[in-house]
Amino acid sequence: MSADSDAAIVRAENVTKRFGALTAVDQVSYSLRRNEVAGIFGSNGAGKTTFFNLLTGYYVPEEGSIWYKGEDITRRPIQQRVAMGMMRTFQLTSTFDNLSVVDNLVLAFYRAHRSVSLWRMLFSTCRAHRNEPRVLAALETFDLGDQRDKEVRHLSLGEKRRLEIAMSMLAEPEVLLLDEPLAGLADSEIKSVLEVLGRQVGKQTIVIVEHKVSAVKEFVQRLLVMHEGRVIAEGGYDECMQHPEVRRSYWQIDARQRGDEQ
Amino acid sequence: MIGALKWWAGPLLAFALLAALRLLLPLAFVIEVLIFSIYTIGCSFLLGRVGFISFGQPAYLAVGAYGTGFYLFYFGTNPYLGLLIGLVSGFVFALAVGPLFVRLRSDYFALVNLALAVIIFYLMQKVLADVTKGDNGLWFLTNIGSTPGLDIARPEGFFVFSLLVGLAVWAFYKYVNDSVFGACCLASKLNEDKLKFLGYGNFGIRLMAFVLANTTSALAGSMYAIYLGFVSPEITSPARAADPVVVTILGGTGSLYGPIIGTLAYTGMKDAISKLVGNWELAIGFLLVFIMLAGEKGIWGTLEPRLQRALSRVKARVAR
Ligand SMILES: Nc1ncnc2c1ncn2[C@@H]1O[C@H](COP(=O)(O)OP(=O)(O)OP(=O)(O)O)[C@@H](O)[C@H]1O
Ligand SMILES: [Mg+2]
Repeated sequence: MSADSDAAIVRAENVTKRFGALTAVDQVSYSLRRNEVAGIFGSNGAGKTTFFNLLTGYYVPEEGSIWYKGEDITRRPIQQRVAMGMMRTFQLTSTFDNLSVVDNLVLAFYRAHRSVSLWRMLFSTCRAHRNEPRVLAALETFDLGDQRDKEVRHLSLGEKRRLEIAMSMLAEPEVLLLDEPLAGLADSEIKSVLEVLGRQVGKQTIVIVEHKVSAVKEFVQRLLVMHEGRVIAEGGYDECMQHPEVRRSYWQIDARQRGDEQ
Repeated sequence: MIGALKWWAGPLLAFALLAALRLLLPLAFVIEVLIFSIYTIGCSFLLGRVGFISFGQPAYLAVGAYGTGFYLFYFGTNPYLGLLIGLVSGFVFALAVGPLFVRLRSDYFALVNLALAVIIFYLMQKVLADVTKGDNGLWFLTNIGSTPGLDIARPEGFFVFSLLVGLAVWAFYKYVNDSVFGACCLASKLNEDKLKFLGYGNFGIRLMAFVLANTTSALAGSMYAIYLGFVSPEITSPARAADPVVVTILGGTGSLYGPIIGTLAYTGMKDAISKLVGNWELAIGFLLVFIMLAGEKGIWGTLEPRLQRALSRVKARVAR
């Protein structure tokens, strides 16, 4: 094993995931160094989300293996990976819409910083954790203070996105995987979310899937570009953008993005 | 102190009102309402909090009732001990079947529970007829000994006891609803994937909810056994399998006081209509369909927001 792979906190080795005849992720190898900020980028259906699902345990790959801090976690269940320090968000925002904003945060906080024991959960109230400094700080940071007691189903998409990111960050995971966290956010919101994430640089490993590479260009240190399930380029931003295959598929994305903005 | 008083105000008021009902209505009616409410709150918790609809609640009711019944018929005389045995039987039984059941999707869950109720019905009616006396049932009213303190062998004593148990059960569920566990139940009902990715296990949460709810149903069964002084397979009759679900929806699914309101309405309707009409079950069937179509939130679900609005208006006026 090289020194490089020793420093890897998460590593995928030749993972493949098929849906019927479609190979959504095709022999992808990837390694994330501790505390780096990486971007995964690629056109629609490139397999970015599926790759996330493999890393976080939503799917088990048909081939290949996933490693975390030198341990093979290919078949580990989701909760174990979370306990080991992985946390993700979903492309389609995923929150508990029937709970209040603050209780969503309390649930994220409680598992990470209190307990997973059912008895403890039964014998502690949500109320007792609503004023935890970390929960209050999350409300403040993501500008959700005014929505504190609202049920999440009454929130706007942007607010829900911020809530989901807030929940994932409350757990203070070692590896934070964000699937299109900026989609549906206004420019001012994008700025503030990136600012919050920016403060974590050097403290957490962050992986961010994004269509608008331009938005996260300054932020990510390394890029992985996927196309139709395969990795077509890997490295620094400029390096990747000059890759001929990327230029071809990037042109499509660029066009799509312009379409989005109209 | 004031916080605690405020917290208890709801349950205390509810049971004070039920106690006051005794002044207007026959004892048997009020006791039936108390026990049936306890029976229903388990079902309402499962449906409203965890998203499990069960058409087999009589199974758990019967386990509690027979647990208590066997003890009082064959072994002992102390009704409090009988109650404890019924409760423990229910707990053990729910813990035994729960791990298989809570993995199922909601629609299968409903049917598997119904099947369980049917199985228990036949077990009690036919297979175990030697010990259960089949359709005749076990009669042990005269076996039940008087107890020092609150004598629950007498109906008046049992009434007070039911009020206290009811109050305790409601305080318990109010507490559970406020707990982190209660929030997890709601979360698991809506978005189990997200809960997993926060690091919680859905299975344990559902199993615990299942066991709590069905132990409550078994408690109601035990109470029936002691109050009536007999148990027969009728208690787990498949014909009555949907009752708690109907009452849950009638009262307002998942709301804390829905089961009481629903039970009052249902039992009251049954009483009133059966006095007037021959085919009362048919009449009630139609009435229920009509009520449920009229308001899917149930009685309490419709009333509560209005009450709260009225209350805040009164508060505002007092403040001025
Ligand atoms: N559960 C599934 N069943 C069948 N096909 C799937 C499933 N999930 C993903 N796919 C397919 O796999 C391919 C990769 O999908 P994936 O969601 O990973 O792409 P993506 O890069 O995240 O795209 P987008 O930018 O649109 O989010 C797509 O063709 C998609 O249709
Ligand atoms: Mg995707």
